[in-house]
Amino acid sequence: MVYTSQKIANWYFSIALFLFVLQVIMGLWLISNYVFTIPQEVVNVFPFATARAMHTNLLVLWMLLAFMGGTYFIVPMETESEIWSPNLAWFQLIALVVTGVVALVGFAFGWTKGRPLLEIPPPLNYMVVVGALVFLFNVGMTMFKARRWTVIQGTLLGGLVFLALLYLAGIPFYRNEVIDWYYWWWVIHLWVEGAWELVTGAIMAFILMRLTGVDRQVVEKWLYVEIGLFMFTGIAGTGHHYYWIGAPKYWLWVGGIFSALEPLPILLMVIDTMNHVRHRHAQIVNPHTWTIAMGCAVFHMIGAGVWGFAHTLPQVNYYTHGSQVTVSHGHLAFFGAYALLNLLVFYFAMPQLKGIEIYKPTRAKLGFWTMCSAMMLMGLTFGIAGVLQSYLERVLGMGYMTAQSYMRLWMGVTLVLGVFFLGGVLITVCDLLSPKAATERLD
Amino acid sequence: MTKKIAFWIFLLGTLSSAVLFLGLTVDTHRQVAALSHADKLSENVVAGKRAFEKYNCNDCHTILGFGGYYAPDLTKVVQRVGEDGIRYRVKHPELAFANSVRKMPQQHVSEVEIESLVAFFNWVGEIDNGDWPPQDSKKRLSRSEQRLSLGATVSPGAAVFQTKGCMNCHSLHGVGGTFGPVLDTIGRTLTSEQIEQYILNPKSVNPNAKMPPQNGLSDRERDEVAKFLGNLK
Repeated sequence: MVYTSQKIANWYFSIALFLFVLQVIMGLWLISNYVFTIPQEVVNVFPFATARAMHTNLLVLWMLLAFMGGTYFIVPMETESEIWSPNLAWFQLIALVVTGVVALVGFAFGWTKGRPLLEIPPPLNYMVVVGALVFLFNVGMTMFKARRWTVIQGTLLGGLVFLALLYLAGIPFYRNEVIDWYYWWWVIHLWVEGAWELVTGAIMAFILMRLTGVDRQVVEKWLYVEIGLFMFTGIAGTGHHYYWIGAPKYWLWVGGIFSALEPLPILLMVIDTMNHVRHRHAQIVNPHTWTIAMGCAVFHMIGAGVWGFAHTLPQVNYYTHGSQVTVSHGHLAFFGAYALLNLLVFYFAMPQLKGIEIYKPTRAKLGFWTMCSAMMLMGLTFGIAGVLQSYLERVLGMGYMTAQSYMRLWMGVTLVLGVFFLGGVLITVCDLLSPKAATERLD
Repeated sequence: MTKKIAFWIFLLGTLSSAVLFLGLTVDTHRQVAALSHADKLSENVVAGKRAFEKYNCNDCHTILGFGGYYAPDLTKVVQRVGEDGIRYRVKHPELAFANSVRKMPQQHVSEVEIESLVAFFNWVGEIDNGDWPPQDSKKRLSRSEQRLSLGATVSPGAAVFQTKGCMNCHSLHGVGGTFGPVLDTIGRTLTSEQIEQYILNPKSVNPNAKMPPQNGLSDRERDEVAKFLGNLK
């Protein structure tokens, strides 16, 4: 580590990890609601809806903090300068964490905007915007003062500005439910299949370049092609959410065609990662970091690419829309594309920030493989429940709760898998917060 | 391929997709008014949307397929349980779901808000959204009804019972909803004629009935299902 201001990243990462644990615990409570009958008195005080708002907002919060921390770690190395204002970085971290805590406590008391995933109510919304603006200003000033522009930091900054702009689409109250969902997806879809992919592409390129020593020109060339394909398929691909909301029929065509192409950039990312590793110039000092990078690329492909493609065509989506199939896809895609990406950044940066060049990978491996296997199996059990639901409820016309009774077994299996997943997360978090230096070289 | 070509791939890819998307957004705005019947979007409907959001309904229920997957989709809820069915469930969830394995919270929603919610659901149910969800599609369920009744063991009445939402509340031999009474031996208490009357106007047969009148059934469907149930002895 060369730049002292990078240290702030460690705080972003540590808080993100803590929120990640809370998110998973909340997930276990949610799945318990599917398996057991929760008494009316408990439901009155702490309904499923409140817990779901917490589960999803914790996800968004920890991922945004991880992206921001990652940016504060990467930008000094890319610009070869200190962060413009470490104080602003501190201010922004505190502002966002306070906003998040107030929002989560507020949910418990029924203070909500009531829009799924965007439950944070208006006054707090503006705090998020202020936090994001301070962040962008700080990062922008660092780049501007250094006068050293790279494609990686351009993509990173572009993705973050795009992310912040899209958030605005979710703030107003829309009178028409159809228009409301139309712009809701500008936040949700264009985040995860647009802005966040830009951030991911930049971070992956940066880490691969550092890990493998492959020439910057080559890495950045492929980064352009990747993000070009992500944007081409992702922007118009938003249409796959407009099939059944009361929008014009041409969205069936636009959404179907563009989103069928969405796996392509992800596939390119997998090939690209493998290629860079094969043609590496530097010795890989921490092989486990490379394992996470490969795991991220492959899981991203399965969760977002394959699972997304599986129910994106209108003919299939007519039956699977709004069922547990979506839950299966959501869990695999978020974990594969974004949770693993952030864990990759953490494993790349956190030992370095503590002065450890080569870390002992024993706990890291145990945590990684536990999380990955548990999540893969959860994707399958949610998927089975989803296929049952699509067939029983949507094809056969069985009542909602009757169909759910056939899915209950699989939700029970998911609960058990969720406990294993939490175990993997706890091992990983402990390892990251107190990384151990390897006593001997691994090769 | 050079880096310059890669840059142009990025630029053209992004711009072409963005131009298409923004163009269609403008056109969607033009068409949504007609598709969603925006002329019927009264203040009461909007108040219902606000109530729907105030009580965070959307984090358990989906509407137009989006939201939580913990409870039934509400797009066609008026068609499925009727206006009175909605009022009863929102007002007394602890009674409505007393026997259900899943509960709905008692949120003390006011009478005015409940009426606005009903208006909102009525409006949403009329959106021209490509005949989704399939389980509430009149077109598709009548087809599955036909297919069921063609089977040698299933009477037309049984098919109506299975496809017209009766089983959302009632059960037969352990399959179906828990909201209404079990109908395994209903023929012992009511005749087919009484059942037909009950379906038309529940309160005329049983003043304490919570079941809403089933206006969605055709005369033939009502006749068949009553005959079927009357024979369950």
